[in-house]
Amino acid sequence: MFKRSSIALTAILVVVLMVMMSFALTVQAQDGGDTPPTETPSVVGAGGTQITFWNGLTGSDGVTLIEMLNGFAEDNPDIQVIVEMIAWGPLYQKLQTAFVAGTYPDVFMLHASEVPQYASYGVLRDLTDQYTSGGGWLPNDDISAITMSGMMWGDGPEIWGIPLDNHGRGLWINEDMFEAAGISTDPDSAPTTYEGWVELFQKLTLDANGNNALSPDFDPENVVQWGYTVGEWPNVNFIGALYQHGGSFLSDDGLTVTVNSEAGITALQQTVDLVYKYHVSPPSAGFDTWQAFGAGTVAVLPTGTWYRNQSLLQTDIHSRAWRNVQWGPHPATWIGIHTWMVPAGLEDPEKLDAIFRMIEWVSNNQVLWAASGQVPARLSAQAALDPENYPSNILLGQSFSEYGVQDPKTTVTQEILGYLDAELQNALNGLKDPETALNDAAELMQEALDRSQM
Amino acid sequence: MASIAQKRGTKPTGFRRLLSPDLKTREVIAAYIFLSPFLIFFTIFFIRATIASVGYSFLDWRLLRPSPPYIGLENYAELFNDHIWWDSVWHTFYFAIMTVLGTTIVGLAAALAVTRPVRGAGFMRVFLYIPQILSAGAMGLIWNWLLSGQFGVINYVLSFVGIRPVNWLGDPNLVIPALSLATIWWTFGFPMLIFIAGLQGIPGHLYEAAKIDGANGWQAFRYITLPLLRPTILFIMVTGVIAHFQVFGQPYLISGGGPGRSSWTAVIYLYNQAWVAFRMGYGAAVAMTIAIIMAVITAFQFLVISRRVEY
Repeated sequence: MFKRSSIALTAILVVVLMVMMSFALTVQAQDGGDTPPTETPSVVGAGGTQITFWNGLTGSDGVTLIEMLNGFAEDNPDIQVIVEMIAWGPLYQKLQTAFVAGTYPDVFMLHASEVPQYASYGVLRDLTDQYTSGGGWLPNDDISAITMSGMMWGDGPEIWGIPLDNHGRGLWINEDMFEAAGISTDPDSAPTTYEGWVELFQKLTLDANGNNALSPDFDPENVVQWGYTVGEWPNVNFIGALYQHGGSFLSDDGLTVTVNSEAGITALQQTVDLVYKYHVSPPSAGFDTWQAFGAGTVAVLPTGTWYRNQSLLQTDIHSRAWRNVQWGPHPATWIGIHTWMVPAGLEDPEKLDAIFRMIEWVSNNQVLWAASGQVPARLSAQAALDPENYPSNILLGQSFSEYGVQDPKTTVTQEILGYLDAELQNALNGLKDPETALNDAAELMQEALDRSQM
Repeated sequence: MASIAQKRGTKPTGFRRLLSPDLKTREVIAAYIFLSPFLIFFTIFFIRATIASVGYSFLDWRLLRPSPPYIGLENYAELFNDHIWWDSVWHTFYFAIMTVLGTTIVGLAAALAVTRPVRGAGFMRVFLYIPQILSAGAMGLIWNWLLSGQFGVINYVLSFVGIRPVNWLGDPNLVIPALSLATIWWTFGFPMLIFIAGLQGIPGHLYEAAKIDGANGWQAFRYITLPLLRPTILFIMVTGVIAHFQVFGQPYLISGGGPGRSSWTAVIYLYNQAWVAFRMGYGAAVAMTIAIIMAVITAFQFLVISRRVEY
């Protein structure tokens, strides 16, 4: 008996294993697909002055950056740029350890939300002299106010970074699904109230019998097409909704966490209701939003400017960009800013000259950066974008300049966003009610904020 | 030429023993010489780092902070009062119990099957060991696809018997068992290998005697195989607990620690404190605490299992 059971168990293991190994081979085959990965580090140019440049642009935006740097190297044959692209998470870790060890790069790119942390530890070079206000080449008035605020930190007039772009939250809609539901695909026809958005999502959510979520026969247990999805970057969605309801992340003095205000609870409750009350979005965990949109099972994908190139690749899905949802009385949407930064410890004048020539060249050619999907930071570059090729950059770029909201400016932003994200996930997966989740998040965030003040 | 001590028939001691070593001493010296490359690196990269970590755990050290202040036991006090830490420890225990038991049972069953003198047994040993050599990244990718609530193979197969899609990674009650399942598949090869060695060490005449006495297969397993495998089981369980208590890759890559923090383990907690929040002092305190917990568990295992081992 024992013999038989052990042989049966082994047989089951073998079958399972064979299935798994076929997956492993498929993974390997996909990894080695037609598109070769961007070489890292990429060596651009062959000049004698060598500069190292770290960034986290590992997606299609990295390809655009390398193309731009090739253009720079052609115009500046005396410079060689060694570009190392690392995913953002490991990049933050590598940078910090590199600063401790003294092996930091000559120039690097982070998000503007990191400016306070790095500036507070004195590792950033003051770049005020690169702006016209400090006698430099970059016109201050060519940068939007929201973008410029991301470059600054502290009480002084110092400007710690040079912006490459604005990237932020927008929507990508499946036009075929909209047309099938009788909804206009014109972005200007988008609702401006929560109720309006719910109705739109209900029309777009279908069960296996073809009933939409407004129908009395709708079966929420058997949805085959979702109107919306709450899963991608919940804290980014939340920040937009929070400000739409007049809330804020921190108090005016920056010392108190205020995400659990009435506005915050309303914002999160509305999001949770989309899942559990209106059944127009799946719970966030275990749901791949991009895959679902690509497979034609989600009608409205809240994502970012970076989705442009993905949408162009998906020729079987007719999609276009819309501005972010608006659930409160004020429009608001989250934005981030890829920002050039230079280490304070770098003193080699030859390298500094090469670095600033590179940044200036890329900045002056920011129109090219639109091919990455992101919105060029300079207003003149935004204005020069071709509407035929860059409709999403133009549409979303305008919304960023008009009502963009950035991550909170603290020295512990990554830490407090981590606490918020976990609690938002708890609410969006039905593990906590929105008020409890936000209170718990606020408590942890406040502790982190208090520690940073010590 | 014999030394004076040898002539007198007495063994040299202390420094003299080193100058004129006997065979046993020479063997010990040779062993240390061969071990020395490992010992040197172990001392530099492990012992030194461990001792340094003890010191760091008493500092309020953010990675970029130039001169972190000494704060005594504050990091430990904060840790013991953090319910997220205790939740993470509970998840880790839950995961470790499931995976250690799972890999031990599956490893033993597989070892029993492939030690039989049948055609293809050698091939099967290699085949069953293959998952063990996969990197955490490859394993994570495979199981992401298998466990996906939307497009997962497991849900696809279950749909043929009328079971609706299960949100394996989105349900807080299922996520740890799902990660354990992935881990058992990934890591049962090592216990299998050790069990094969253990089984080959059991004298065949014991089974012959049992057969003559009329014992059936189960009785032979219960009264011969299992008792004589106790040292092997102890080894598997001790190394298993040490390995699985440090689980990181599976929750990080497959579930992202979620939903919420439902699959945060002790090392995920450590990672978030040390490498997301960059609280190195606090992270060192977490690491020290994990090491102490593992040492206590290992000692407990030795106490409970080794007492009844028949060598």
